[in-house]
Parts: sequence; C-alpha cells; structure tokens
Amino acid sequence: MPLKALDIYKLLPKKNCKECGDPTCLTFAMKLASGKGDVTKCPYLDEDAKVVLGASTRPPIQLVRVGVGELRFGVGDEFVLFRHEKTFYHPTALMISVSDRWTADEIRVQTRRVASDHLVRVGADLRLNGIAIRNDSGSPEAFGKAVAAVEETATHLPEVLMATDPAAQEAGLASCGHFRPLIHAATMETYPAMCGLAKKFGCPLVISAPDLATLSDLSKRCTAEGVARLMLDVSPSSLADYIPAATLIRRLAICRAQPEFGYPVFLDATRYGNQDTAIALGILKYASVIATETLPPATLRAALTLRQNIYTDPQKPIQMNPGLYPIGSPGKDAPVLMTVNFSLTFFTLQGYLESARVPCYMLIVDTEGLSVLTAVASGKLNETLVKESLKRFDVGSSVTHRKLIIPGYASPLSGRIEEETGWKVLVGPRDAAEIGEYLAQEWKS
Amino acid sequence: MTDGGSDWSGKIGEVVLGATAADGGTRKVSYRVGGDDDLPFLGGCTSGHRPLVAYEICDDPGLWPQIVRDYCGDLVNDPASWSKAAEREYGADLIRLSLTSTRRRGFSDFAALGKTVHDVLHATGLPLIIEGSNDPQIDSEVFQQCGEAGQGERLLLGTAEAGRYRSVAAAALAYGHGVIAQSPIDINLAKQLNILLKEIGVPLDRVVIDPYTGALGYGFEYSYSVMERIRYSALKGDQDLQVPMISAASDSLNIKEVREAEPAIRDEMAVRWEFYAALPAIVAGAAIVVVRHPGTVKALRDAVEKMWPGEVTANAAQGA
Ligand code: B12
Ligand code: SF4
Repeated sequence: MPLKALDIYKLLPKKNCKECGDPTCLTFAMKLASGKGDVTKCPYLDEDAKVVLGASTRPPIQLVRVGVGELRFGVGDEFVLFRHEKTFYHPTALMISVSDRWTADEIRVQTRRVASDHLVRVGADLRLNGIAIRNDSGSPEAFGKAVAAVEETATHLPEVLMATDPAAQEAGLASCGHFRPLIHAATMETYPAMCGLAKKFGCPLVISAPDLATLSDLSKRCTAEGVARLMLDVSPSSLADYIPAATLIRRLAICRAQPEFGYPVFLDATRYGNQDTAIALGILKYASVIATETLPPATLRAALTLRQNIYTDPQKPIQMNPGLYPIGSPGKDAPVLMTVNFSLTFFTLQGYLESARVPCYMLIVDTEGLSVLTAVASGKLNETLVKESLKRFDVGSSVTHRKLIIPGYASPLSGRIEEETGWKVLVGPRDAAEIGEYLAQEWKS
Repeated sequence: MTDGGSDWSGKIGEVVLGATAADGGTRKVSYRVGGDDDLPFLGGCTSGHRPLVAYEICDDPGLWPQIVRDYCGDLVNDPASWSKAAEREYGADLIRLSLTSTRRRGFSDFAALGKTVHDVLHATGLPLIIEGSNDPQIDSEVFQQCGEAGQGERLLLGTAEAGRYRSVAAAALAYGHGVIAQSPIDINLAKQLNILLKEIGVPLDRVVIDPYTGALGYGFEYSYSVMERIRYSALKGDQDLQVPMISAASDSLNIKEVREAEPAIRDEMAVRWEFYAALPAIVAGAAIVVVRHPGTVKALRDAVEKMWPGEVTANAAQGA
C-alpha cells in the first residue's frame, strides 16, 4: 500500500526551501504520494527516510547487505520472476548452522570448515556464505558465548543470529554487532525491541510471521520504526506452501504492488525434515538467504552447482577470451589443441591437460560461448574460423610443426580444416578425460 | 491483499500412460500426466497430477554408467528382474527401458527386442517407457517390434526428433501408444515438432515433450529455462505446447564430479547430482523425471511427497 501524503510529509525535512522544485515540503509530499515525484530531488533527506520513501525509486526488491569486508554479500535487487526474462543477479547465500548447545570447540571446527569449504567450477570460486548461530539453549549467556566463539575463529565471516529472544540477540550483538550480522527474527511480539537492536547496530533484520497478511503488517510496522533493511521469513508450515508464498511475494514485489514485500526472502531449510528439497526449492524460487545444517560433500557440490546454474546470465554463456593459452612451458614442438571459448569447455579441457603434464598450447577460437557440439551443430565452428584464429594468434610462430588436434566431436570438420589451413588435422578423443592417454600414445611433433 | 496471481487461458493437456485390465492392458496402474492450469505447484492438487519418477534400465549394460553396474550388480544383465527391483525395491512410479543394444554397430537382432519388451512387461505391473534406437536406418524395425510387443499397454515410445519421427509415430499409431518428442533445448523447435506429429495424425494427447536436459553444471540452466518457457507459453494459450514434459538428465552419471568422486561418496554424489537436476526439472514443469541411480528414486519420491499438498496417494494413480 503506498504511503499517504501526510505520512510522507512527516519524514521530510520541512525546510520548505524549494530545492526540490516544489514550493513546499507538503506539495512535494503530495507529488510523491501520487507516484509522480522523485525522492532524490530533496537534498536534505536522511538515509533512512530515503529508503522508506524510495519504494518507487529503489529496485523493487531492496538490496540488503550482510557482513563487512571481503566476505560481505548482498542479496535482493532482483527484477524478474523467471531467469529467462533477464537474469537473476544476487545468488542465494547459504549459511551453515552452529548451535549454542555445542561446545566452543565444536563451534570452532564448524566455523573453520565453513570459512574454508569451497569449490572451483568453470573458473569461479563457489563458497558457502557464512554461519547461522542458533539460540537452541534459550539462554542469552550461552548465545553470547557461541557468537564469541564464531567471532574468534573467523572474524569476518558473515553471520545470522537466530534467536527469538531480544535479550539473547543483545548478548550476541555485543560481540559482533558492528560486523553487520543478520538478525533473525522479529515477530509481531518482539519487533519493537528487535527494531531497536537493528537500528542501534545498523544491522539488517529478518521478520517472521505465520502468514502473508501478518508479514505485510509487520513489514510496515518495522519500516515505520525506521528499519530499512529487512528480509522476509514466510516460515511456511510445509514445503508445499513455500513455492506459493515465495512466488506471491516475488510477484507483488516486482510489480511494486506492495512495497512492504519488496525485500529478500529468508528460508530456514532445517525445518522440514528434508533439507535437500528445501535447499533446491529455495535456490530456484526466490530465497536470498538459506540457513541449513552441515552439508555433506555431495550435497555441497550439487547445491553450489545448482546455484551457479540458476544464477548465470541466460543471455550470455560464461566465455573465455579467444587466444593461444600455454599449459606448462610448451616448447616449439609442443602440441596445439583447438577448442571453443565456452568457459565450461575451456576449464574442463584445461583441467585434464594440466593433470596430463604434457606442456602444450590451447587454441581457443571464438564460438561466441558455444560448446563444441553446439558450435558444430550451429555452424559457428567451421574451417574459416579455425584458419582466421591460427592467423590472428600467430600460432605458426609459436610452434615449428603444422599439426592441429581438434575435439573428437568436431571430426566432421577435419577434412575441411585441413584443406583450408594447410595444417595436418589430428582428431582427438571426444571426452577430454582421455586426452592424457591420447597425447601419450599419439603425439609426435 | 491482492494475490497478484496468474490468470491463464491455457491448460496442459492430459496424457494417459499404461493400460490396466479395464482398458485392455495388463498394467497394475495407469497414470494421467499433465492437466495443470497454473505454474508448477501454484495450483495445489486441484490442478494437474503428481509428478512421476521413472527408473531407467537398459538391455545392454556395456553402454551404461559404471556406477550403476557396480551398484545394481547382476541385475543389469536381466532387464526383467531389474524392472522388478525398480518396482518393488527402488520404488519407481514407472520404468523406462533403454534399448542400448540397438546402438551397437551392425545391430540386427530385432526379434530379441520384442522379447525383452515382452519380458519386462511380464515382470512389472508398472507402465513402461521405451527408448528405442537412434539410427534412422533401423528405426522402423525397432519401433515396429516394440510397438507390437506392447500392444494395448499404452507405452510411451521414444524418441521422435525433427529429422526422424515417422517410424516411431507409425508404431505408436498402429499399436495405441504415446510418443516422446525431443527437441534440443529450444521452444520453437519443440513446437514445430509437435506440429509435424499432428500433421501425420498423432493427436497431442499422445505426445510428451522432451526438451532435452543437460546434466547439472553441464547445460542444465538452459534446460531449466526452456522448460519454464514451454510451460509459460502453454498456459498463455499456445495449444501446440499444451502437452506434459519429460526430463532425463541422462549424462548425469558420466560427468566428472561423479566419475572422480572419492569411492566412499561416489553413490551419494551420483544421487545428489541426479536429484539436484530432477527436482528443479519438476519445479520447472516436468511431469515425469527419469533417473538411473536407484537411490535417486527414493530421494525424489520423498521430495515430491513433501512438496505435494494433501494426500499424495490420492493423486498418484488415477485409472484411465
Ligand atoms: C547446453 C546446450 C545448448 C545451449 C548452449 C550452451 C553453450 N554455451 O554451448 C543452447 C540451449 C544455446 C543450445 C543450442 C543449440 N543446441 Co545444444 N546442447 C547443449 C547441451 C545440453 C550441453 C552442451 C554442453 O555444455 N556441453 C559441455 C561441454 C563442456 O562439452 P564440449 O564443449 O563438447 O566439451 C567436451 C568435449 O567436446 C571435449 N573437448 C572439448 N574441447 C576439446 C578439444 C580437444 C582437442 C579434445 C580432444 C577434446 C575436447 O571435452 C569436453 C568434456 O569432455 C548438449 C548436449 C550434450 N550433452 O552435449 C546439447 C547439444 C550439443 N545441442 C544440440 C543442438 C542441435 C543445438 C542447436 C543447433 C539446436 C537449436 N536450438 O537450434 C542449438 C545451436 C546453437 C545456436 N543456435 O546458436 C545437439 C547437437 C546434436 C549433434 N550431435 O550435432 C546436442 C548434442 C543435444 C541433442 N542431443 O540434440 N545447446
Ligand atoms: S527540497 Fe526537501 S526540504 Fe526543501 S522543500 Fe523540497 S522537500 Fe522540503
């Protein structure tokens, strides 16, 4: 629901200085209320008022940052319901839980693991985003200690403090408040105290309610308290309710129908007795932060890969710059292997070449990011492109031989490439995993 | 509060898989797939039917992922017993039989195919999907054999593609089966193929779209989005796309992450890799997902149970 002119007027500086182009603050407020004004025209608005008023100028889903320093992440700032309409911008953050019932040692081990666990895929470093500290004990003191144990172990790892009791939150924030952790969660009962804490430390705040109508009300109350960085926990009672709730919030937010829903969604994946399902649904359908238990290695890889897939830009595949790339320190008699500039292809082949320990060159030709088979099928990979690339990257002066190894899937092109370039073409294996064996057996310069 | 909800004019058509005795077949159950009139999981159980999990077996395990051969042991040498295990132990909703023997150079033992289909139908009461040859030279004979062996059972025969759909369509029409129409990750090609099938007399209530699914991390994002687009266009009213979808990320068990996993977690990796592509495919609109590791079947059935509002069993198997 848009704010009324008088509500807006209350937030304006009331200087009546006319710098916004309106004669008075009140007329400016009326213009904003009708959706025709631009809040940024008033130079004297404080930050919070700007955010509260900015529903019409800010992105339909507020960008919310958690943490400080290099590991800080931002979520929200999304514009579409389906990734094919444009893209999803800010990948879901995965936060791994520790409990304040654990010993300090257990907490440290887990924290260290979260800080170091990562995997590299397609040249991108995929990692977990932080720690969710849970107040299972009910004791503020135990919670404060648990937070301190995490802090000691990894100072700048983003955190979400999960405690329903404001006293426990306060105990936790005492040791990490200025590192901007996410506070989880304010409810209809606790929001005045939780808003107070969020404002005191400048932290983002998750709000939680059993149904969307209450959540909408709570969201308005918290913004009225002056908290501008919110996240929404719809706390569905079952996973069957998650997709409808999260989709509805996203729809209402992006059409700006209800600015109180214009915040990122938080999902506690541990509540449903089927964590993998909750994680997958969260990644696919609009969860910006997911709290989970420890992820076994297989789940970790699969979940991070799904997240990477869903959050890549559908309009442009991740591409490499075309060129001649040395592997090891190739001499003039080293083999030259041709492939496409789709980064998945590049990194897959590169990985196998590195483990094969045969110094060589990779000739990357510009297929506009298409994989080998796709490029062959669409005609983007052809003899002219190969000829131009050999010339453009001056491959002939890096090696003395004139032999080019092409991917097995490009074998239909071998004759034409040979004719067009004058290089002798060797058809390599289809599967890059076999490249080491192939080079060992077949390569003679 | 407004619900900001969707207002669709289209609806996904229904396709029946498997024929029970009442319909002249011998299946214990038959399924209706499709029927949805909203985006997946938004319409509740009033719209559409529970997604189904198919377990895929083959008749020539030499061409099957090593990890499945290790896990299933001797079963892989006997499609009939394997299909029985899929039904009783793995908990599959239906079976997909991939006739890998036809991929061998110079394959000519067509009669053996008919026998395999017959044996599998005898061993399991579940509806059957058949993945035939992929060589136009032998298509006609292969599909003829399978179609005939499964006459009256309402099989789902695959795969029709833009360049080769006549043989499979002819067998489906002659023996009363459905057809899988596969196109490479492209909504327009999916539509075109359905039009081609319609033109030669295959009604769309016998067609299931396979938009081609790349493995997780190996093209899955394209497949996910093309499924979302097909579903969306169908709901918007494009009648040629108003058919259910099937998704099989068949390469999942051959990828690097699975092949190179530590032995202690290799099975778990295989299951998670299939799961994290199949569940998203369901969320994007697939009515049937196909997997190859037995462990994935249970994981997916549990997931669907959690996501499906109300009684799962009530929606599971409605008689045709
Ligand atoms: C994702 C995908 C797409 C994406 C594009 C993704 C991209 N960036 O390329 C989209 C949706 C855009 C697409 C489009 C098309 N696609 Co497509 N696509 C795929 C899919 C599912 C995965 C491709 C992939 O990412 N592979 C992974 C990479 C790493 O593989 P790779 O590049 O081949 O590299 C491997 C090997 O070649 C080898 N290797 C690589 N380089 C080298 C070098 C040397 C020297 C050696 C030895 C080895 C080697 O190592 C790698 C790992 O083993 C495949 C199916 C499949 N499983 O391959 C179909 C597939 C390739 N597509 C296909 C087709 C037909 C098309 C289209 C023509 C259809 C259409 N819509 O018009 C278009 C063409 C593109 C266009 N019009 O511009 C067909 C090709 C059929 C054929 N055999 O020719 C396939 C096989 C699907 C099918 N079965 O129908 N596609
Ligand atoms: S610029 Fe700001 S303070 Fe000045 S009149 Fe406009 S609204 Fe009031």
